[in-house]
Amino acid sequence: MELSTQIGPALSRQPKRLSVQQLDSFAAGRLSCSPMLFFRAISLLQFKNYTNRAFEFNEAVTGICGNNGQGKTNLLDALHYLCFTKSYFSRTDGHAVQEGQKGFRIEGRVSLNEKQEKAVCVLRETGKKEFSVNDQPYDKFSHHIGRYPCVIIAPDDAVLVTGGSEERRKFIDSLLSQADATYLQHLISYTKILQQRNSLLKSFAETGQRNFALLDVLDEQLLKPGQYIFEKRKDFLISFLPAVRHTYHEIAQQPEDLRLVYESQLLENNLAECLQASRQKDLYAARTTAGPHRDELEISLGAQPFKQIASQGQRKSLLFALKLTEMDVLKEEKGFPPLLLLDDVFEKLDESRISNLLQRVCRDNAGQVFITDTNEERLKKHLDDLAIAHQIITLR
Amino acid sequence: MQFSSSLLENAVTEFAKLPGIGKKTALRLVLHLLRQEVGEVEHFSEVVARMRREIKFCNRCFNVADGDICSICANSMRRQDLICVVETIRDVIAIESTQQYNGLYHVLGGIISPLDGIGPDQLTIEALVNRIQKEATSELIFALNPNIQGDTTIYYIQKKIQAFPVQVTTIARGIAFGGELEYADEMTLARSLQNRLPVERYVAGR
Repeated sequence: MELSTQIGPALSRQPKRLSVQQLDSFAAGRLSCSPMLFFRAISLLQFKNYTNRAFEFNEAVTGICGNNGQGKTNLLDALHYLCFTKSYFSRTDGHAVQEGQKGFRIEGRVSLNEKQEKAVCVLRETGKKEFSVNDQPYDKFSHHIGRYPCVIIAPDDAVLVTGGSEERRKFIDSLLSQADATYLQHLISYTKILQQRNSLLKSFAETGQRNFALLDVLDEQLLKPGQYIFEKRKDFLISFLPAVRHTYHEIAQQPEDLRLVYESQLLENNLAECLQASRQKDLYAARTTAGPHRDELEISLGAQPFKQIASQGQRKSLLFALKLTEMDVLKEEKGFPPLLLLDDVFEKLDESRISNLLQRVCRDNAGQVFITDTNEERLKKHLDDLAIAHQIITLR
Repeated sequence: MQFSSSLLENAVTEFAKLPGIGKKTALRLVLHLLRQEVGEVEHFSEVVARMRREIKFCNRCFNVADGDICSICANSMRRQDLICVVETIRDVIAIESTQQYNGLYHVLGGIISPLDGIGPDQLTIEALVNRIQKEATSELIFALNPNIQGDTTIYYIQKKIQAFPVQVTTIARGIAFGGELEYADEMTLARSLQNRLPVERYVAGR
């Protein structure tokens, strides 16, 4: 028995892009009321440098100001926790606990499509993490991803452009996972099976005993999630990459020969063939050398690799282009703008670029935005100049 | 925790080694034993020691047994051509409690997970393959946990027995009985839709 109807949200192949005029009118209509996704309040207990503190947010744009070490980024990270059930900055939850304490609690009041929700993330003293929305705990945290779509831009994100291919895969995966829950499930399965396969290859190398029947089984199990991940990335990047290029040129405001190319072994052969062809190599290397976990997003300027010749400014422009296009895609997919977290993004930007950026993320996008800055005067002035209603939280 | 008797302390330490038992619960259990007659406690420890000393594993299905063959395998009233493959002895007990199954079992002793150092050789897979060949099994039912390692194990065994004329099935996956659709996770719900049942069969409860 086969079901013909599609289950799960499917990404449209060609995200429709709103024209600038449409965006403006859309924004104008929205400014009066609050966005579809809006964080009204957050309270933090034993989270990083906050012992016990609550914040309320009334405007679509919230500026978080204060000197270094006052907890500006920590507040953004708390919001990130509520969107992704984890920190953006550290891998382990233990690092988010206030020094000398055990466990933390983050509680947010969120309105989503005009319904009030309570999202709570708790790290128990035992190290066990719990996440619930409206007191309904999640069995699997992955089911929460995409409920509160979110885009974050932080200083360390430069590795997205300059770092290894893993960073760019992570970026694409985060985007697609928020837009398509099925993608995330396949990604989780793929990673788990891949770990098993690598572990098996390692045991082959160590013991000299090779159970090829088991390797065959793991290969077959990889096919479905692996092929899905590849197809999704391919279909998505066809429209995403030109959009990034377009945004980059908008930001740079001069023509540059930026090239973005999706590289995958799967573009030539399907995953079954790739695994078969690289089996000898895999046995020798004791890990899996073919598959979508080796995909790359190649970036070049002219004929040369971007990271080798790009200036600081160009890197920053490309980073913004990637993130802002992500924002557009999520808005298109979800039907409302994602939460935007901007951590210290004004550094090394000239005044007109700051203004352009704010114009784009605060006015055109019409979603909720949090911006951290050490310079309160500067932030206030820019927001006032653009006539953007805002609230400033000063930490000291 | 401070003890006035090292005998007491030793006993508490031993109890606290059991899964799910902390120091406080261990103390409560030991103090309970202390209140009993000496003979009762000796009986208790003898039963435990004897269980460990004399228990055997069935030569055929690897279930726990008093002799070489377990009581389930020895029961000639049960269908001998039906084998249900499970991970542990606990699963046998769970399925027996349903009183809905009248075949035999095969206890694997785990599932394939190279990450945890468990390969096919650590499990009773070879014995299972031999069994199917010898016993002319007509159907093999997999009752393993619905996760990736469970699937790996199923596919692996299926490959190994391809040559034999045995039907291979797995228990159904879907919405829990008495569960609310609203709270079912999407994957379970999607799977239940894919493997939906004709209403006659559903109503008949078969």
